[in-house]
Amino acid sequence: MRPHEQAQPPQDYFRYVNVDAGWVDRRIFWDEAIYERELEAIFARCWQFVAHDSQIPNAGDFVTTYLGEDGVIVSRHTDGKVYVYLNACPHRGNKICFADEGNARRFTCNYHGWAFSTAGELTGLPSEREAYDAGDIDKAAWGPRRARVETYKGMIFATFDPDAPGLEEYLGDYRWYLDAFLDNDEGGIEFLPGTIKSYANANWKFGVENFIGDAYHAWWTHDSGGRAMMGGPFPAYDPKDTYHASVNGHGWEFALEGFGDIAILGSQEVIDYYAALKPKIAARLGELRARLFGSLASAAMFPNMTFLPGIHTFRMWLPRGPRKLELRVWTVVPKNAPQSVKQAINIGCNMTFNPAGTLEMDDGENWEGNTRTNRGWVSRHEKLHYGCGKSRQIEHPELPGIVHEGQFNDANQRLFYQRWADLMNAKSWSDVPQRYAPRYAGRPTR
Amino acid sequence: MPAETHALLSIDQHLALTQTLYREARLLDEERYADWLELLADDVHYRMPLTARRFRADRSAALAEGPGYVFDDDKGRLGLRVQRLESGLVWAEDPRNRVRRIVSNVEIYRAETDGEATVHSVIEVHRSRIDAQQRRLTAGRTDLWRLEGGSWRLVQRLIQFDHPVVIDSNLNVFF
Repeated sequence: MRPHEQAQPPQDYFRYVNVDAGWVDRRIFWDEAIYERELEAIFARCWQFVAHDSQIPNAGDFVTTYLGEDGVIVSRHTDGKVYVYLNACPHRGNKICFADEGNARRFTCNYHGWAFSTAGELTGLPSEREAYDAGDIDKAAWGPRRARVETYKGMIFATFDPDAPGLEEYLGDYRWYLDAFLDNDEGGIEFLPGTIKSYANANWKFGVENFIGDAYHAWWTHDSGGRAMMGGPFPAYDPKDTYHASVNGHGWEFALEGFGDIAILGSQEVIDYYAALKPKIAARLGELRARLFGSLASAAMFPNMTFLPGIHTFRMWLPRGPRKLELRVWTVVPKNAPQSVKQAINIGCNMTFNPAGTLEMDDGENWEGNTRTNRGWVSRHEKLHYGCGKSRQIEHPELPGIVHEGQFNDANQRLFYQRWADLMNAKSWSDVPQRYAPRYAGRPTR
Repeated sequence: MPAETHALLSIDQHLALTQTLYREARLLDEERYADWLELLADDVHYRMPLTARRFRADRSAALAEGPGYVFDDDKGRLGLRVQRLESGLVWAEDPRNRVRRIVSNVEIYRAETDGEATVHSVIEVHRSRIDAQQRRLTAGRTDLWRLEGGSWRLVQRLIQFDHPVVIDSNLNVFF
């Protein structure tokens, strides 16, 4: 069966997620069968981030990553284009490339030496004339399966589903928010070299939901790190001018004070840099988005890409079974910033948000606890409360998407799980309901 | 890191520095972080990069080892980490995890500057955590130590972590 030829979903996944009542069934964080359906209905279907242009600038540059549990090679070919294809040899299935990143002219399977171009074509078989007769193999038809590739402002995304909507439609009005992070300056962003990877014994969704809308935990979980970085506790939470915005399951929760996240980096030089840049951001993206960027915020793109826009950390949550995840973390900087600002951002970012970060260290243990308690049969059949701020949905004159008031809210998480259930239920993309009225369909957001 | 020499210290100095390495490990095991900070020179540079798995033949620079640092700390930032640990608000360390550091393969050489020593060592960090989970982390260390007022102080530490992926949900420990 091809990836896009989906089996009839075995059940209605809204039995696990109730958006109106505000609860989620704990089995979605534990059960193998649900996880297997996620690999098919979510990770074999949705657009997922695979690399940024700045990570693979030259022909032959590559990184290896995953779409769900499907390993892929992401490489820039001699034609300048980026190709994404299964990191599995079509002969006996061995992994083709065991390196994390680098530059290569071709990839050669360790087993029989089948060779593949950086565009993912099968180009050579050792002893081909002696081993194979005419008609045995059509090399053009036997390259590793290629994914669709589209980019948004330097970010490269891929999906194996030929029926998936285009990336622009998939992102929808979330582009309006993304621009505040990716396009707030004419140079755009770049990824600094160096990928930090770690494992946690936790379900991947706990990592994503923490970033999509959980400002609430910071005041308690991160009290120790907050005091160390800021010299005192987080300022008292003020719900005024704070929001949750959700589009197609993607989410951004934010205040509009302008500098909360940037200040956590602990560098006056970075604060000064953005203080000078803010009027330019306002001219480029409007006053509201100039205040949005850099404020205390966190964000996630469905299914598993997250970032803290002002702290400049960018991360992917790769599923490794229902009870394990691999977290990959990068520092993102404005391309046109002076070297000293980039360096200060990198130091502040790594000091706070990596496996030894003064804030991040306090998170992993929570997600592992959230997951591990489900070993208990009784615990696993209990529901979890996601009812915070159910009645606070508003229409906002400027903010697109489904908007709720209050940074302490479960709205983006509820709508993430709504999208999750919509996809789990759907036989194909045409079954996935449209849950909001786009304002920018077919139009640029900047 | 300074160029390597193979000149040895006096036996007394060698012994004192070896003892300092073991004492450092015990101070950290016992969570005596303020005492540990006193072992560090004011200009200490403490860093741990994570390196990617790359093909041996790959000589490209585009994605060469970059600033993918788990630690890249001066004394001020190490002090902030200690403040956090001593805040009484680190829930993941309460109840306390047991950590045991084993320091071995210690090689000590005179550095180029008088009163400084290059020290190679291997550290194994055992963490006993929630539900008796065990984690065993290993790293090679290349240090520069300096004799200040009769005591050895750590000036530079480059930690070569042996894991391309951090095999724990956090690194709430010093190496």
